[in-house]
Amino acid sequence: MSAFKLPARDELGFCNIFLSALGGDGANMGGKLLFKIGCTHFGLDGGYDARYGSEKKGTATDVSVRFCEVGTPVRQAGPTATPHFLVAFHDDLIAPLELGRGLQLNAVCIVNSIKSPEEVRHLLGLHSGTIVCVDATKIAYQSKSRMNMPLIAVLCHELGFPDTDVTAVIKKQWPKAAESNMAAFNAALGGSTRETFSSNGYPRQSPQVSRGPIGWRNMLNGGTIDALTHCTLNRDNRIAGRGRVPKFDKGVCTSCGICLTVCSDPGGLLWRDGRMDGIDDAFCKGCMRCVEVCPDTKKGKALTFDYA
Amino acid sequence: MATMSPMTPFKVSELSEPEPTCLQKPWIGNGNEAVARAILDIGYDCEGYYPITPSSDVGEVISKAYAEGETDISFVIGTSELAALGICAGAAVAGGRVVDVTSANGLLLKAEQMPAISGLGLPMVLNLSTRDVSAPLNIKNGHSDLYATLGWGWLTFLAPNVQAAYDMNIIAIKVAERVNLPAIVAYDGFHTSHANRRISVFASQDEVRRFVGPPPFKGTLEARNGRFSFIDVQHPRTFGPYMNDDLINAKVQMETKFERAYQYLPRVFEEFARMTGRRYGFVEQHGDRSGQRCLVALNTAGEAAKDAVDLLAAKDEWVNLVVPTVLRPWPEKEILAAIGEAEAIVVAERGSQYGASNYLANEIGAALQRHGNPARIIQRTYGIGGLNFTKDDALVMYAEAAEVMKPTRHDDEKPLAPGGFSFAESKYYHGAWPGDEGYAPEQTLVPLTVEECSVNAALGAKVNLKDLSKMPTRFDKHSACPGCGIFTSLNLFLRGIDGHVCLLFNTGCGMVVTTGYPLTSFKVPYFHNLFHNSTSTATGVVEMIKRFKARGDLPEDITVIAVSGDGGDDIGMDQVIGAALRNDPFILFEYDNKGYMNTGAQLCYSGYKHQKASNAHFGPQQTGKRTHHKEIVEILRGTFAPYIATCCESHPQDMIRKARKAQATTRDGGFAFVKTLSVCPLNWGMEEHVGPSAVEAAVNACMHPLYEIEHGITTITVDPEKAGKKVPVTDAFTAMGGAFAHLARPEYSEAVKEVQDEVNRRWARLKLMSENPNL
Repeated sequence: MSAFKLPARDELGFCNIFLSALGGDGANMGGKLLFKIGCTHFGLDGGYDARYGSEKKGTATDVSVRFCEVGTPVRQAGPTATPHFLVAFHDDLIAPLELGRGLQLNAVCIVNSIKSPEEVRHLLGLHSGTIVCVDATKIAYQSKSRMNMPLIAVLCHELGFPDTDVTAVIKKQWPKAAESNMAAFNAALGGSTRETFSSNGYPRQSPQVSRGPIGWRNMLNGGTIDALTHCTLNRDNRIAGRGRVPKFDKGVCTSCGICLTVCSDPGGLLWRDGRMDGIDDAFCKGCMRCVEVCPDTKKGKALTFDYA
Repeated sequence: MATMSPMTPFKVSELSEPEPTCLQKPWIGNGNEAVARAILDIGYDCEGYYPITPSSDVGEVISKAYAEGETDISFVIGTSELAALGICAGAAVAGGRVVDVTSANGLLLKAEQMPAISGLGLPMVLNLSTRDVSAPLNIKNGHSDLYATLGWGWLTFLAPNVQAAYDMNIIAIKVAERVNLPAIVAYDGFHTSHANRRISVFASQDEVRRFVGPPPFKGTLEARNGRFSFIDVQHPRTFGPYMNDDLINAKVQMETKFERAYQYLPRVFEEFARMTGRRYGFVEQHGDRSGQRCLVALNTAGEAAKDAVDLLAAKDEWVNLVVPTVLRPWPEKEILAAIGEAEAIVVAERGSQYGASNYLANEIGAALQRHGNPARIIQRTYGIGGLNFTKDDALVMYAEAAEVMKPTRHDDEKPLAPGGFSFAESKYYHGAWPGDEGYAPEQTLVPLTVEECSVNAALGAKVNLKDLSKMPTRFDKHSACPGCGIFTSLNLFLRGIDGHVCLLFNTGCGMVVTTGYPLTSFKVPYFHNLFHNSTSTATGVVEMIKRFKARGDLPEDITVIAVSGDGGDDIGMDQVIGAALRNDPFILFEYDNKGYMNTGAQLCYSGYKHQKASNAHFGPQQTGKRTHHKEIVEILRGTFAPYIATCCESHPQDMIRKARKAQATTRDGGFAFVKTLSVCPLNWGMEEHVGPSAVEAAVNACMHPLYEIEHGITTITVDPEKAGKKVPVTDAFTAMGGAFAHLARPEYSEAVKEVQDEVNRRWARLKLMSENPNL
């Protein structure tokens, strides 16, 4: 394949792509595929660096892909702090992870969102660039694909990779899922909203990450945590839970206690004075174990979930 | 500073080499996969293995290749890092070509074996995917593991990038076997181990093997190159004698091997360059050797700094960069030559020698002094715990070097060091932060009281779930995967435990997802020490509880509970047995999810035979895990500890009763062990909501029988056979998800029959023991 012209490059000659996602979204696989396509089909070189630590399903993770021309030395490692292309797998990751930081001028931001590009721009505080909103969750569901497919489709398109070449690689990589992947690919390209913004109103944000209030001077001996002041009691988990929580019907509940025995996090169920009182919407991770075991009494099931 | 003339020859390290004599082909993968590629290309006899992040996937690739029939290597998974290296030592003394992989705490657990291997003159390669040594626990990059090895008598090679991780493996084994010393190849955890790059590899394995040389003792067991085979019965020899004063001579001999390696290495580098077009040396120098400022940095930091040097050169600022690639033998001459005419040398290290000047800073400082070089050393510690080091960090360091060189600068100026370290001049932590002055977070948690936590005492002998709901949770809101079995089981178990609780966790998912700094999910005292020794740690704790109580300093009654995964009780089995034999008054609660799930689903001894794991694959040469599941309860039976039991979330009343009995046992001054089967939806490959029915199926299949042993007397507490609920193991495997479900398919009928027969046999024995108190 002939050499491909990079759509943007930094002072070292790299086009930087940053994928921000939750564990289980397929960002890792998507990034790996993208890097492979770039190297094997478009004559590029570069690197693919994943955070990949002890991130569990539902916790934030990120992947960086850097492309350069063959011959440019590839020396930087770790995540890119100055992306030309940002892919946010969920729009509610933008604020807590400060995804607007470090974006290059005229960055392209591909966001899984039902919001408008204008609204997403506000979330990001984007100085200048293009925002592409795509409802990847819905597309993945309807095409029986995964969320990474519609997002990678838009990313490859925005990078300027010819669609036909990209689809050929995807078909070859996952022959069994070719049909659903192609459906997702086409739905994403056809169903995204794209808008370009000039520099009118938002200052450029430095890549410097914010530091926590605890440092070497005020850290407790040996990194000890004081549970009285630093307990996760009030942790808000809505990003990971994605609002996918069981429905609870108090009128039907007998408070038999079986849900309590299977809840994978005691923070998810609210019990008061020996009575089941509801689901903690801000924390429940939506595993639906409680729905599975909730007995179907004469009055019905107290915990239900509409899987459709 | 004086600007260098633009005429100064600008030396770029990527010198074009003549056409390689061995065909190279492009290859894409990460650092760990590149190491695995090298291991396969070299053709080893044995890999002793134990998983640890971030090096685990090297073994996973090898085991996959083995299952596929691509290699005939003896790939042996040990019970610990020390065991894995012991396996390597045995294979090496027998005459095999041997390799191992590790990181951080894994390396330190191997520590006793490390100087023994070099002292015995056993060549092998240990790949070190560098990571900071705990505590507090961290899995990211740091060189504290590498630095710990420096005096252990191992050749030490550094691989600054993915390409070098492959190449240095091939170079290291050749040198190691030549001089009969073991060799470390250190590459950066995550920054290299998990970085995918396009690199070049040998197109033909034969050419790698020709370069490395034939396997030792191929065709004969006779002595070769001063190395002997232990299993040469025609010529018996004694390896590892007891030595008195002669020991000093053994060590002198070892030191002379480093001299031989130092003499031999240039030839090896030259030969490798001719074959591959890729040139290595003791040290990589980049930039201007006559530059007044020089940065010395290892591995990925050195790589990243090259870009900084080039960017400065483009602005007509000429600086030097030195990236050592061999640390042992220490190439003093080459490093000084590379440092050239620098007046200010920033030695940046991903580690620190606490309470002293840093490792490389000291070695380089000493080298400068020996050669009468007055250059000034500026010490920087960066990136401990994985903080990324980029060209920008290097630019800051070059700028700081310029500051130091300013003639106006005096030592009485504001010290660079945070707080100022008067014992170590110029030592400074780059990237650390002091924290906000006046930070005073509000109290959000009210400590639990004994009154709140007395639900079981109030219930008497009854187990009433509705009333048990009144037991306050001892932890809340962790970040485990949805549907995780660990906290389901532990939370349920703790509802059966009254009063104050202190928890001690082994390393594993359970600790990682609950205590991400600066927050904790625990409302009660919690301690994570190491992976394998929560039991020994608990012993120390209960001893002090006894002591503090006796002297009247501790009015409260405390139940101490150690919590471990099945992995922690593999690597820590000896310490579990020790606590049981001593009958120390605490509970050990094991969540058995049939694998090392925190490091990426490697097999654990408790896993079922033919179970799939990331290091036990299916292929023509292997069908998953090779051995039957370990029954830790039966191992502990021999300790005659007062209370040993199994439980399961599918039988909550049974679990609560056992929790109460366990607590009663410890209150009577004895040791209690309780184990539960715990689902891992992520790595079992199951839906998040099906956990409860999956473990119930395992109980009904008698694969996880629910029973207890009180002072040696066995009682089956849930008998699926009597209840008419017994099902074949295939039913359970189907329910348990992708890591097991294949065993229900017809093509594995023979394999699954082995498991069924073993489960039947163990169940039959258990029933007999349950019927007869004398068994």
